Amino acid sequence: MSLQITDLRKRFGETRALDGITFGVEPGTVFGFLGANGAGKTTTMRIVLDILRADTGTVTWQGTPSTDLPRRTFGYLPEERGLYPRMQVLEQLVFFAGLYGVPRKTAAAEVRGWLARFRVPEYADRRAEELSKGNQQKIQFIAAVLHDPDVLIMDEPFSGLDPVNVALLKAAFLEMRGRGKTLIFSTHQMETVEELCDEVAIIDAGRLVANGPTADVKRASGKRVVRLGVAGDPELPWLAELDGVRVGRAGRDYSQIEVVPPRDPESLLHAAIAHGERVTRFEIADPSLEQIFVDLVGRQAAPDEERTLAHLPANGRA
Amino acid sequence: MMRIRFANVATIARREYLVRARTRSFKAATIFLVVAAVLVTLAPLAVRWFDRDSSAKVGVHVSTTLSFDPIARLDSTINLSATPGGRGPFTFSTVPDLAAGRDAVAKGDLSAVLDLARDPAGDLAFTIVSKDGPTLRIPTLLRQGSSVLATTDRLLRGGYPADKLDALGIPPSVVVVGPTPAEPGQAPKDFAGEIGSSLTGQALVIFLFIAIVLYGQWVAMSVAEEKSSRVMEIVLNAASPFELLAGKVVGVGSLGLTQYVAAIIPAGIALLLQDRIASLVLGEAAASTAPAASGLTPALLIAFAVLFVLGFLLYAVLYAAAGSLVSRMEDINSVVAPMTMVGMAGYLVAVYTSSGLIPADAGWVVVLSYVPFVSPYLMLSRFATGMAGPLDLALASALLVIAIVACLWVAARIYAAGVLTYGQKPGARALFTAAFARRG
Repeated sequence: MSLQITDLRKRFGETRALDGITFGVEPGTVFGFLGANGAGKTTTMRIVLDILRADTGTVTWQGTPSTDLPRRTFGYLPEERGLYPRMQVLEQLVFFAGLYGVPRKTAAAEVRGWLARFRVPEYADRRAEELSKGNQQKIQFIAAVLHDPDVLIMDEPFSGLDPVNVALLKAAFLEMRGRGKTLIFSTHQMETVEELCDEVAIIDAGRLVANGPTADVKRASGKRVVRLGVAGDPELPWLAELDGVRVGRAGRDYSQIEVVPPRDPESLLHAAIAHGERVTRFEIADPSLEQIFVDLVGRQAAPDEERTLAHLPANGRA
Repeated sequence: MMRIRFANVATIARREYLVRARTRSFKAATIFLVVAAVLVTLAPLAVRWFDRDSSAKVGVHVSTTLSFDPIARLDSTINLSATPGGRGPFTFSTVPDLAAGRDAVAKGDLSAVLDLARDPAGDLAFTIVSKDGPTLRIPTLLRQGSSVLATTDRLLRGGYPADKLDALGIPPSVVVVGPTPAEPGQAPKDFAGEIGSSLTGQALVIFLFIAIVLYGQWVAMSVAEEKSSRVMEIVLNAASPFELLAGKVVGVGSLGLTQYVAAIIPAGIALLLQDRIASLVLGEAAASTAPAASGLTPALLIAFAVLFVLGFLLYAVLYAAAGSLVSRMEDINSVVAPMTMVGMAGYLVAVYTSSGLIPADAGWVVVLSYVPFVSPYLMLSRFATGMAGPLDLALASALLVIAIVACLWVAARIYAAGVLTYGQKPGARALFTAAFARRG
């Protein structure tokens, strides 16, 4: 096993932030770490990175406790974005890499390579405060990968990025995976998770509520989704008479219908024909991760607002 | 077990040093300090230069008969500081008419008129005509001069030989010694030297206080800046809070030391060249009376360096911990206030001690001079005035080192807890919990 998180528990004063979180991440995979606001994602990440200490529970990478691992094992892109505002981009990235023991020349060459890949080579000599938020985020991503970590942990890496930059970042993710790196990230963009992640874990109020390969998590509920399109009136009043059926999305082109066992999704096709509909589209699919998320967590995903993280004491790595 | 990667401490210190050293405000402050230090060093010289031609004009009116020249007597006594070619505090002239003299004082042509008459008993009686009140400088000096004239008059009337009058004004030899006899070969206590070392001690205590508060604030600001820009979390994945804290203190401390050395070297050179500058500006003869750098001995400089480094370290770690507790730069002043107050108390007692307002051998002053937080100021002041020796300095330094280690331990915990905590008001209870909670 690879990154193994076992029975993590953490309290901040009266608040129980983590309540026995256990899951594993295989090396070389992209792992989606999902949860509503305040579910405990950031706390879990900080404990994995040994920025915070858990009350109980362990984190190991390749069998070694995270507290004994060299710091360069992990790369971290925190949710709270921050750079030294008045320092030049190249200089501060070389500084960050220096903390992981990367020689200055090597780091500078790597930085220039990454800036070129992100199509912003001219930013090397600019001060961080001169860059837009999205561009600062790219710089922070570079800060997280410069020392060539085995595991890359990113808290909401896509938030605030425009579609072009999202695509660039996704490409960078895939490249890192191609190099055999393990990527763990949290996000509220479920389509991105479905697109990139081999496995996911969903936590709610400090507890793990789903974990496994993305496809398995989607199927585990047993629900299927039927996309049914008919000619003429898109209202399908006869659906209300059927058990185990719920219209998720009613549209002019097609309706998306959740089908709960024991009802067979194919029975909808028979029912439509029986009601004299002229079927133009019939498709059986897994439910989206968004639906699974809403079912499990009971709330819509939304970007985290800024929250007070912790009651003292927070850190153990003094 | 805490592992400290010194390479990280060095990397953080280097960034702290370079980034700050490059700011315009740092460069401007350094230039200002250098200029100010040189000016302060040469200030006494400048005052003398401006004063070189300004002596108060005093008229002397004699309403009686005298068997000596009052102006010659006044010149040889209260004008004693007059240098050949230069002038003393007064230029005396004879005023034939008292009413005209009064007018001259009223118009400002004369600073004062000294009128000599005799009382019914035959003794000299004096009237000082001046716009100044009786306690101000000119009337006070003229009062002293009057005593000399009255004594001279009495002596001459009593038959004292007139040719021996000048010898009367030569100051006698006076030596102040301690209660225990001096060691053989040891010079007796030098009064002028003691004034010098007391002034030097005061100046060094003031420098020390300014340096600790100024550079301590820098540490706090640097921490708060890192926290408010949220860059802290990136750094914390690479370096432990302890390394971050240590790197900051070392970086800012080195920068402070650089600025200090930059200011002190030109000031020191100016001090050494003071005699030469004085002879150039004021002439050969005047230069000999320029105040020497008395009291600034190598031992005192070493004591200053030791107490500066240890005092700065002690306060800087606490300033860093304080800085970690605020989320906004504008809250810094309120969290560092308690430390500044403690430092201020030590500083004031030390300055009062050096200036003699508080006896330097008072029991509580002696005890406090070993107590960390105030010992840098008080021990320096006692050391400068010779009330404390190398052993006392060593003991105070050892206690400071112990205090630094203890404060580092507490500060690193407060810092570790504080740096990732946003939006909370730092209360005493929260601080205590952060510092002493069991580590997971």
